[in-house]
Amino acid sequence: MATHSGSDGQYAVVWPSGERRLKVRPLARRLDTLNGKKVAQLWDYLFAGDEVFTALEAEIAKTYPGIEWVSWREFGSTHGVNEKEVLASLPARFKEMGVDAAISCMAC
Amino acid sequence: MLRASEICERAGFPTSSLVCEGFLGQAAATSVGLGMPNMPVATIVGHPGAQSNEEIRKFAAEVTAREVIENLLVQPEEIVFGEEPGERDIVFTGSFEEVNEHFIQMEWSDGLPIVPPTLEKIEKFLSFTPRNPEETLGIVLPSSRAVTIWSVAVNGVMAGCRPEYMPVLVALAEAMCDPVYGVEHSGNTPGAETLIILNGPIIKQLKFNYEQGVLRDGFQANTSVGRFWRLALRNMAGFLPHKTDKGTFGNTFRVVLAENEDALAAIGWPSNAADMGFATGDNTVTITRLTGGDVMPSVTGSTPERMMPYIADGVAKETGWEIAFTTGGLTHGTLRPVLVLSPILAETIAKAGWTKRHVKQYLYDHARMPAWRAEEFAEKWTEFKIVSLQHQYNIGNLSKDFAESDDPQRMVPIVCDPDDFMVLVSGDPLRTNAQAFAHNGYLGFPVAKRIALPGDWDERVGG
Repeated sequence: MATHSGSDGQYAVVWPSGERRLKVRPLARRLDTLNGKKVAQLWDYLFAGDEVFTALEAEIAKTYPGIEWVSWREFGSTHGVNEKEVLASLPARFKEMGVDAAISCMAC
Repeated sequence: MLRASEICERAGFPTSSLVCEGFLGQAAATSVGLGMPNMPVATIVGHPGAQSNEEIRKFAAEVTAREVIENLLVQPEEIVFGEEPGERDIVFTGSFEEVNEHFIQMEWSDGLPIVPPTLEKIEKFLSFTPRNPEETLGIVLPSSRAVTIWSVAVNGVMAGCRPEYMPVLVALAEAMCDPVYGVEHSGNTPGAETLIILNGPIIKQLKFNYEQGVLRDGFQANTSVGRFWRLALRNMAGFLPHKTDKGTFGNTFRVVLAENEDALAAIGWPSNAADMGFATGDNTVTITRLTGGDVMPSVTGSTPERMMPYIADGVAKETGWEIAFTTGGLTHGTLRPVLVLSPILAETIAKAGWTKRHVKQYLYDHARMPAWRAEEFAEKWTEFKIVSLQHQYNIGNLSKDFAESDDPQRMVPIVCDPDDFMVLVSGDPLRTNAQAFAHNGYLGFPVAKRIALPGDWDERVGG
């Protein structure tokens, strides 16, 4: 009879990971248009996020001229030593500023 | 930066996350760990670090903008997580070779043979801790999985540890879960590797090497516990190469560095445990994430004044871009460079009446870099902007030591405070070599934990 502990050459093993403690969470409802909406720019101050945002502002305005932007300068780096505090403050700050959506960069 | 997007989405704000082309796989895996596997991303073509501003703007306009619009206006389809095994469920049965092949296929192995984690072996590990196997020590990113006493034992078995190492492994898992360490950053591109520092009587009780070849594999305790850490990062935290671990080159795991506490006691210097807030003689583990590392062989001289210039030079040259953790490009004052002195060096320095604090002060005063170089790292060679050291001093982020003049050749400290240096004593007791490492700042900040022993430790392992 197999012991499944190796003495018969067979090993019954468990998996090495813990339980995932996070359920799938719903994403926010998307917008119906970008015209008249205020979009926040979030940047971790790595690589050329400032250049990217400048280009996005110009390009997106061609289709949605009524879009408003809140500059990344308003929020500071999202990846500094105080990352947790900065990120936790975003929802309240967005509400104060009337922000509708956000663009976050730079994953690189 | 997906962690920012996750918080915004949870608060009801739709997001678009901008992800460089080579990091789309990491973004997909990280999104799962954030509980939002359908989080939308927009592509950054290539990598901005290798592009002109004109190219960056062109790609953003031609590719990224369209995807950003879609991210913000089109609701992504919902995704449901599949079922996963329970901790005690048998997931596979087979021969040694078949188990190892299965673990490689499932990405649960580091590529070396693992010891099959059977219930029998796991129970032996659990017998060395009084804690409940189901106890959760923390939930860590990127996988958002529970780090439990049980999962610690499983990975300890796999790494080739002995059951009596379990108290050390539990303390390491507690350190991993400490937010000050920042384990969530362990997949970043510099690929720095954790150094585990061990202190206390447990060094001898478990036969850790603390003498010649202390950082070489070949000693079961040092090697298997070091391997455990890398397996824990993989299986407990969820760092997988080509997915959530984006170390451009990476490193192999470091074996445990145990301090030579006999040598420390002989010269009256505090151990690293004491430096980390515990008592000399406490059993502790310390983790800190280090970059690089090099030796200063054949330190010569019978006085600190003769020896320390060479040692300070070696410490200083290890720190390059990492200066951004001191000067503000990445943070202020989170750099913790490490100097390891062999016992004979520490004894010779101490014989002159120097304390460990004197060594740290000497390093602060002499392990320096030219101001122009610290500024070039920030302003030209990377994008860790600080404007200038003078500017950082003016706004109160750096001390006057960084702005004593406007001479670009002036030498500035590589840390903000002498105590930012970690000074350890280990290695060949009778060889006059030292070793230095640079540090990865707040992305792996030093954290120490006390090792809790079971009540019957002395009977089973020896006092």
